[in-house]
Amino acid sequence: MGRDDVLEGTPPTDSSEPVVEHDRDRGEGELERTIGLVGGLAIGIGTMIGAGIFVFPGLAAENAGPAASLSFAIGAVVALLVALPLSELATAMPRSGGGYFFISRGLGTGPGAVIGIGLWLGLVFAAAFYLVGLGSYAGQVFAEAGIALPVDPAVPLGIAFGVALTVLSVFGTENTASLQNAIVIVLLVILTLFLSYGSLDALGVFGTESTPERFLPPGGMMPVLQTAALVFTSYLGFAQVATVAGDITNPSRNLPLAMVGSVLVVGVFYVVTIFVATSAFGSVRLGEFGETAMVEVARAFVGLPGALAIVVAGLLATFSSANASILSASRAVYAVSRDDLLPASASRLNLRYGTPHVALGLAGGPIVVLTATGQVELLAEVASVLHLVMYGLVCVALIQLRRESPEWYTPSFRCPAGYLVAGLGALASLSLIAFMQPASIGVGAAVMIAAYAWYRYYATDVALKGAF
Amino acid sequence: MTDTDPTSTTDAPNRPTVLYPIRVLEGESLPTGIADLLADAHVVLAGYHVIPDQTAADQAREQFGERAMAKLEEFAAALSDAGATVDVRLVFTHEAQATIDRLIYEHDCLAVLVPNGTDAPESVLLAVRGDVGLDRNTRLAAGLFATTDATITLYHALDDDEADTDGEALLESTANALVDRGVSPGSIDTILEHPDAPLDAIARHAADHDAVVMGETDPSVTTFLFGMPAEQVAERFLGPVFVVQRERPAEEQSAEE
Repeated sequence: MGRDDVLEGTPPTDSSEPVVEHDRDRGEGELERTIGLVGGLAIGIGTMIGAGIFVFPGLAAENAGPAASLSFAIGAVVALLVALPLSELATAMPRSGGGYFFISRGLGTGPGAVIGIGLWLGLVFAAAFYLVGLGSYAGQVFAEAGIALPVDPAVPLGIAFGVALTVLSVFGTENTASLQNAIVIVLLVILTLFLSYGSLDALGVFGTESTPERFLPPGGMMPVLQTAALVFTSYLGFAQVATVAGDITNPSRNLPLAMVGSVLVVGVFYVVTIFVATSAFGSVRLGEFGETAMVEVARAFVGLPGALAIVVAGLLATFSSANASILSASRAVYAVSRDDLLPASASRLNLRYGTPHVALGLAGGPIVVLTATGQVELLAEVASVLHLVMYGLVCVALIQLRRESPEWYTPSFRCPAGYLVAGLGALASLSLIAFMQPASIGVGAAVMIAAYAWYRYYATDVALKGAF
Repeated sequence: MTDTDPTSTTDAPNRPTVLYPIRVLEGESLPTGIADLLADAHVVLAGYHVIPDQTAADQAREQFGERAMAKLEEFAAALSDAGATVDVRLVFTHEAQATIDRLIYEHDCLAVLVPNGTDAPESVLLAVRGDVGLDRNTRLAAGLFATTDATITLYHALDDDEADTDGEALLESTANALVDRGVSPGSIDTILEHPDAPLDAIARHAADHDAVVMGETDPSVTTFLFGMPAEQVAERFLGPVFVVQRERPAEEQSAEE
């Protein structure tokens, strides 16, 4: 309890104090909860929306045709199946670290170490992926301005943004939460206008109805599922809400609402985006446009103003996704190092700026290196593999904790039909991995094996199961 | 949620509850004379540390919690040695204002202190605006200073369309309220004037005193600790200012209960 009476001769008043939600443990002070439902939704949506709309449509349509809509819908279902168990765990253990924390406490140190280090590197891969997307949109600015560049600027610009964002995170002490909210609102407004217009146009309201392509691609469901695996990176953000569970007001209500709500919102946007995009151009043509296909779609509908609006929206969206991923990666480093799975120096804060400079460096450094590879699909899939393993184990951890039901496990939100949802969630998450490219699975497996080896070398004496 | 503090009501009914916010990790310490000034108060010593969004709150607590708490306990001991009763709170927050508002509410604080150094309090300026805050203003001033030798100077700045007699009546009822609460009539002075800029006038008069008690001013502003008027006065006065909080509207209180 952080409240101590220093008054001479007065009995402690703790017993008469009401239980308040601001936790006041260990005589080290309490934590102010400052993120409401809107803030939680903004974190989820802001982290996710960059990829699905502004990077993937071209690639997804090339692989799966109009049925890429279905791929995105499959991703949303998987994400929802994980979001509910994750909400329950987050209200029981509102600590930074999210999935890592739950797995290490529910399943033990070994799985915890693999997931914790995997989560850090998974977010590093995700951030690198977003940065290449951001670089593509920044490059598009030059293209719109009619400046011809000798090389594709996406990768160099992505690297520059990666360095800048890391430096800003270490030294910037401005309050960025309100900026994030504003970015998300601007994005949603631009996208709603654009997609409404596009949908009406595609349905023939403004002229000729576009002839829909054959819905399923020649390969049948296989390309659809492979595309679902590829684009699943677009849903990684919802779990970031769980990593700030300790900062969220009224968590038993706001956490599940923010996670489920953000998945539903972006899922609908993704599905409609593919519908609009594939009605404007054939899938092959979309594929040729690459990462910035949506700019061409907007140009086809409303000319230059539309293209510019989408360039701006794409910059904002990929920027906020990249930024959120860098910060999440540094929080993952902190969570792992707090548990002595990494040296404690990794989580030091500097008092001057109050920021975790070592952890941010451990996030930003590898991010910049990976961005330099420019391998959009590989980066996305490795990020997804590492996250999907975590999601699967989160579901397993829920089942395990409910069966053991330790004394400290008192979630304020309970996942409806818990065993069923968690069982399906685990199954769906792990199955989706099977549809990734072999190279992505290989890299993901290598990361996890290395993480496990590190645990055997460095931290075999750490016991985390039930340590709450 | 109970909104009266058990210690302040059962132990010493007249002790006004004063919130003392302190940025404990940024080298803030107790200014000279503050402990004596608060000898008759129930102090909520609210240590807080503002952390940037990119840092997890529990990460900051883990690293700085013990150090900050030790520092706060030290300050709390100094305050209680001087006679105050003290509650210690330590909060790691992304938004200082949200934290301070919450603590004001949870402890039902009568006033928030803008701490500045002072001499032993011999004279106090009480700025009176109208009948509305009269009860709380006088409760604070009497609670803190009735048992001391300090003189309390009541100050009222007349509006353009306010008659002198109205102002005199206001100051008189304020003085009576103070006397009812145990202040000796001989230690009360009054100043009534018609200044161009009331805040400048308060700051100017404050220079002749050791502490200022004033109400939070703009009722439309919901966050008020560093609300403009009190801040302006505190900046120019460079002495301690007690900002008396408005009473929470009854419906707001019941809504949260």
